[in-house]
Amino acid sequence: MRKALDTVYGAALAGACLAMVTIATLVLIQVLGRVIDQGLEALGMEMLGMSIPSVAEFGGFLFVAAAFLALPATLRAAGHVRVTLILRGFGPLGNRVLAAFVLAIAVGLAGYATWYVILDVLDAYRSGSVSYGRIVVPLWIPKMVMAAGLVIFTVALVDELVTTLRGDDPAFRAAERARDMQEGPR
Amino acid sequence: MDIATLSIILLVVLFGLLLLGLWVGFALLAVGIVAMELATGAPTGSILATKIWGSLNVWDLTALPMFIWMGEILFRSRLSSDLFTGLSPFTRRLPGGLLHVNILGCALFAAVSGSSAATTATVGRMSLPELKSRGYDMRMAIGTLAGSGTFGFLIPPSIILIVYGAATEQSIARLFLAGLLPGLMLAAMFAGYVMLWSLMHPDRVPAPEPRPTLRQRARALKLLLPTVLLIVAVIGSIYAGLASPTEAAVVGVAGALAISGLTGGLDRDSLIGALRGAAMTTCMIAFILAGASFLTVAMGFTGIPRTLASWIGEQGYSQFALLSALLVFFIVLGFFLDGISIVVLTTSVILPMVTAAGIDPIWFGIFLVLVVEMSQITPPVGFNLFVLQSITGRGIFEIALMALPFFLILVLATAVLSVFPEIALWLPGTMMSR
Repeated sequence: MRKALDTVYGAALAGACLAMVTIATLVLIQVLGRVIDQGLEALGMEMLGMSIPSVAEFGGFLFVAAAFLALPATLRAAGHVRVTLILRGFGPLGNRVLAAFVLAIAVGLAGYATWYVILDVLDAYRSGSVSYGRIVVPLWIPKMVMAAGLVIFTVALVDELVTTLRGDDPAFRAAERARDMQEGPR
Repeated sequence: MDIATLSIILLVVLFGLLLLGLWVGFALLAVGIVAMELATGAPTGSILATKIWGSLNVWDLTALPMFIWMGEILFRSRLSSDLFTGLSPFTRRLPGGLLHVNILGCALFAAVSGSSAATTATVGRMSLPELKSRGYDMRMAIGTLAGSGTFGFLIPPSIILIVYGAATEQSIARLFLAGLLPGLMLAAMFAGYVMLWSLMHPDRVPAPEPRPTLRQRARALKLLLPTVLLIVAVIGSIYAGLASPTEAAVVGVAGALAISGLTGGLDRDSLIGALRGAAMTTCMIAFILAGASFLTVAMGFTGIPRTLASWIGEQGYSQFALLSALLVFFIVLGFFLDGISIVVLTTSVILPMVTAAGIDPIWFGIFLVLVVEMSQITPPVGFNLFVLQSITGRGIFEIALMALPFFLILVLATAVLSVFPEIALWLPGTMMSR
């Protein structure tokens, strides 16, 4: 179970990284195309007119994909910002109670958001809404990636909550402690 | 429910959840949901879903992961370890000597990294032991580092300005340019203070080292020049209108890969590490942005920002009075919140009030960033203080005291910027493309 979950989180993060690399590649091709054209124009030759259609639109979709697919891994690596000021005033038991408390709230909120985002995806699918650019994309596809990220994020939060309730250290607390040792508590 | 009661409930929910340690993004969502449920009959859930999608499905935001990625690559390159060797030949003879390495090093590193904690930690690990062994005053060494470590927010490419631009729908290119001169002015003020201090306390400054030879200077330049040129190219192409911020950032990524590939220090592990680190930082910011944009809509439904704005309008306060009040408010917020959270909270509630008072939103972005810089070095929660605490092993309040002169310079810089708003607004006004 542990291994399967970690694989899912890792795969989602890999997906986020892939989205970033794709943004960079598309934009780089766009820039190079423009530079080559300007060079050709300066030489009085015919321009290639190379450009990527709808790059701005795809960039937006890919940014959403990168942001949402990285959610679970960022949680476990203690990448999400929170105020840990009062934790220093509590012992191990108080720390665990507080961790369980914020995780329970987070599970509720993430579940709520996930539910309505899934409804939104279904809505986009049924209504057949599409993107406005030159390349027509059914909007439910990029929205589905967002929903997938949120589902895995909710699973990751439940995972951490269960770990805490069992009396073990959740991954995000372990990562926070490791960072405190290195950079000082936040 | 009247607006006063509602505001108090929302404030209690927000700060209660934040203090208990709920993640900032979730806390913003929670307050938004509570506000919508208490104040309106609008369908909260579906508005939440549309708003999250709409706030992040934005082309301009792609600049964010690209600039973060560029920083992550350069952070892992040899730049970090070469910084002290590269800068010291040029500052040796100045009054205050190698203390200026802290200021210049932070300014340079800030331009590539955009993270204030990373800047402070990287420059500090390198420079503090060197300064100590050369007999510099440690109070001053730590103070300059704490202060200069905050540059990352102002000197472009600034992550926090991208967040502000995305949340307020202002041009990111103009915000970058608006931050450039105030950032350089701040660096000059810090350097000026160090010079004055060393002239007044000659007994606490070690004797100047011999003039560096031409060869030493050339070697130092070779270490730093590629990175400096890359930064100038990235910012210059935005200024000249040759590239959008995203395009400039992608060229920056390619350049960073080339530099770290040529100078060594680029292997498979650091490549993957840079990409993963950039993805996670992007995700952290995107989560807060999504929460903030939903909160902004929810606040719009409650009417609180409108009421605040018209109330401020009726009071007829001058802009200075309003800004001074906000300054105090932000410094207090900065005692326990981090920079990005302060910025997104501001844009949700306070921005309508600021524009109603006739303040330019681009200028206000720079003002806000200066205030956020201050929050980095105010106890009990100041990220730079934490970083320095772990490097030096000294107490938070002791370090805050060493950083106090630089905090006051930040306040002074804010005042100068308020009297002469052109310092921020002149450069974007001369931009080639609009």
